[in-house]
Amino acid sequence: MTIMLDRRHVLMAGAGALAASLARPARAAGDFPDKPIQVLIPTGEGGGVDQAARAFNRIWSKYLGANFEYSYFPGASGQVGYEVFISKRPADAYNILFGNIGPEMIMYATQKVKYKYQEDFTYIGSMDIDDSVIWVGSSSKFKTIQELVEEGKKREITLSTSRLPHPSTIGALALAEATGMKVRMIPYGGGGPARSAAITGEVDGCATFLSSSLGLGDQARFLTVFNDTNRAPELTNNAPPVNQALGTKIPQMSGQRAIAIHTKAVEAYPDRVKKLTDSFKQVFADPEYKTVAEKAGTPWEFIQYGDAASCQESAKEFVELADRFRSLLTATK
Amino acid sequence: MNLSLSLLSDQFLLNFSYLWLIVIATTIGIIIGAMPGFGSANTIIMLLPFTLAVDVEVAMIFMVSLFVASHMGGGITSILLNIPGNGGSAATCLDGYPMARKGLGQQALVLSFVASTVGGMVTALMSIFLLPYIARLAFYMHSVEMVVILLFGITLIASVASDNMLKGLIAGFLGLLIGAIGADHIYSTPRGTFGFIELYDGVPLIAVLIGVFAISEALIMMESSSVLSDTGKQMMRQSGWKETWEGVVWSFQRTWHMIWTGIIGLIIGIVPGAGASIAAFVAYQQSRLYSKTPEKYGTGIPEGVIAPESANNGCASGDLIPLLVIGVPGGTTAAVMLIVMTYHGVQLGPRLFIQNPGIGYGVFITMLIAYAVMLFTTLPLTRWVSKLVLIPTPVLAPIIIAFTLVGAFAPRGYMFDLWLTLLFGAIGYVCRRTGFNVVALLIGVILGPMLEANVMRALRISGNDPWVFFSSPVGNILWAALAVSLAIPSIVQWRRNRAAARTATA
Repeated sequence: MTIMLDRRHVLMAGAGALAASLARPARAAGDFPDKPIQVLIPTGEGGGVDQAARAFNRIWSKYLGANFEYSYFPGASGQVGYEVFISKRPADAYNILFGNIGPEMIMYATQKVKYKYQEDFTYIGSMDIDDSVIWVGSSSKFKTIQELVEEGKKREITLSTSRLPHPSTIGALALAEATGMKVRMIPYGGGGPARSAAITGEVDGCATFLSSSLGLGDQARFLTVFNDTNRAPELTNNAPPVNQALGTKIPQMSGQRAIAIHTKAVEAYPDRVKKLTDSFKQVFADPEYKTVAEKAGTPWEFIQYGDAASCQESAKEFVELADRFRSLLTATK
Repeated sequence: MNLSLSLLSDQFLLNFSYLWLIVIATTIGIIIGAMPGFGSANTIIMLLPFTLAVDVEVAMIFMVSLFVASHMGGGITSILLNIPGNGGSAATCLDGYPMARKGLGQQALVLSFVASTVGGMVTALMSIFLLPYIARLAFYMHSVEMVVILLFGITLIASVASDNMLKGLIAGFLGLLIGAIGADHIYSTPRGTFGFIELYDGVPLIAVLIGVFAISEALIMMESSSVLSDTGKQMMRQSGWKETWEGVVWSFQRTWHMIWTGIIGLIIGIVPGAGASIAAFVAYQQSRLYSKTPEKYGTGIPEGVIAPESANNGCASGDLIPLLVIGVPGGTTAAVMLIVMTYHGVQLGPRLFIQNPGIGYGVFITMLIAYAVMLFTTLPLTRWVSKLVLIPTPVLAPIIIAFTLVGAFAPRGYMFDLWLTLLFGAIGYVCRRTGFNVVALLIGVILGPMLEANVMRALRISGNDPWVFFSSPVGNILWAALAVSLAIPSIVQWRRNRAAARTATA
């Protein structure tokens, strides 16, 4: 087992560990990577991205030939992490950011940030697709998405969400726009409290990513999935895709966990980027990855490789969606 | 959730076979608990490779022991140095430190350990036998109810400020103002961040805690040669086993007090998102309210140490209940435990008690054993640990500053946090020198943001109808209790005055 420490933990472990990491033997210059890759995670330690990243990197390190060191900069829906990454980390391809394209591009589009997408950073590969869903607690009177929509035409439905800039929020708002139901999104500042609010009945339901709700078992009754197909029907009581159930034309609302690097690094070190992307792709063919990914809580059906072009396309789609629902996602009227 | 005795005894045996691990984990837990800035969640993440490499039962025993011990350790520095190891032990400073200054540091430590143990054990036992029922409590605690519970805590500002109401309220208000810095809870619009990205998620609690308590306390210490008064020094030098025993006796003279404040902790812990700091402040406020001598609180009395310590350990049991029963973590440490468990393929939530009841109940068995172990390892230590206060302050103060600054940097790794801590150190020093109560300030910083988040959430759910705060039966009962708790001191005072007037005229 590789023992992975980030800077803070090195500090906590004491000067001894620090000295040990400095005394690492140097390999031939120009042999990328000749030192550990620094991973910046724009959410908290132990969160979904952290889990997925650690599982992925365990296999990736085999192909890349380097270890990973982690640091966490949560806050403001990922904004803090991205700003630290772009302003404080060297653009040398040794620094990568592990993020989630959907929520973070919506954040980028709706908040005032100090960096520019594509000028400052580029997504170079994605590793999974996690669909947005709407579910209700087991004691809820709603059995189907149609019932929820019908009720929503009579009164405003409340749905908990971890934060407003999130694909599932946009999904719910698009659903309301398409069907004429009324919906009010209640941000809880985190997935845990948002799920808890729906289970305990404080709100009518929860709009979130599928994978984070799978552990809830019978307490969650899935009503719909924001994709063309339900990729995990047996885990989600066969909830229908939203367009199929309601005849709407709502685009797919997914999160894609992906790695980003500085755009300057892409330009300055094409060979390093090639090494990163090639070895990144190799992970998906490794049977061991299936084991660790599932252990980390991501069903194998969700694991899907996406190249830089598909990441870029997805990022642009989310910026457009966020622009469309800007007034509902921000305090601007 | 059928509870069988054979299951419980199996778990007891399993835990006994890992007693050595519990001893190690509780020792680490107590040390990190006593160090401001180092939390149990951080430590578990640091030891993640270890927890993933061992069996799931072993990982759980390790994590739970470390978690409960960190709640117990927080009180040590609160009592001896007026520096809380974490938010949960901030209320312990109120009476713990005055006791230490009087030379009763050893007794205060014993009180805190015994109260932690009793609070923790009683609530762990209650959890085992009442789990399905107390888990339902979470279903009644929504934003509205949280608002009232938080108000219970916030009224403590007025109590701790009783020496000088105006200055106390100003300090509390300043705390609320500092707590309001950061992105708002609905739209994430930054407020009062002065453009510092480091403040987008609010002022980090650790920076405030270390600044206003540790740094300012160290500065105050440097002004005199000893933490102790002269008589205190005399008493401390002579203290031996007799004082340890005295502390035990004092604790058990207040057994009921330990139990009910522990239960307050348990109930608050069950509410997702509410943590040990709220539990400790609310328990302290309630304890003061029902005391016959509320005016003595803050001067160094045993009850003032027992209430917060028992409550923050009761909260440790409570925190784990939503995690186990509905699969939603109640706090950061619980969130990290969730990750380790998922990695081991254990499903937390209602299915846990069907598929893996051993783990579900084992958690509380581990707690029981961990507390028992800690009591045996810590009680004898009090005799030597309490001598910490005899170290001359010119030596002690710089050590405190150096150590706590490392603690201020550790959680987020920002240099910014160091400057912020020093700034709060200066604010704390000025507050203390001019008679503004720093505890009132801290209560504002801790409880303010939670109150705001819950108020905004409740209003948003109701469509901005202010009557929502009086729309739930449980909420209304809590409102009534709050009203009573605010009225009682005045009524007691009025009756005393009347009695005094009568005796004067008689």
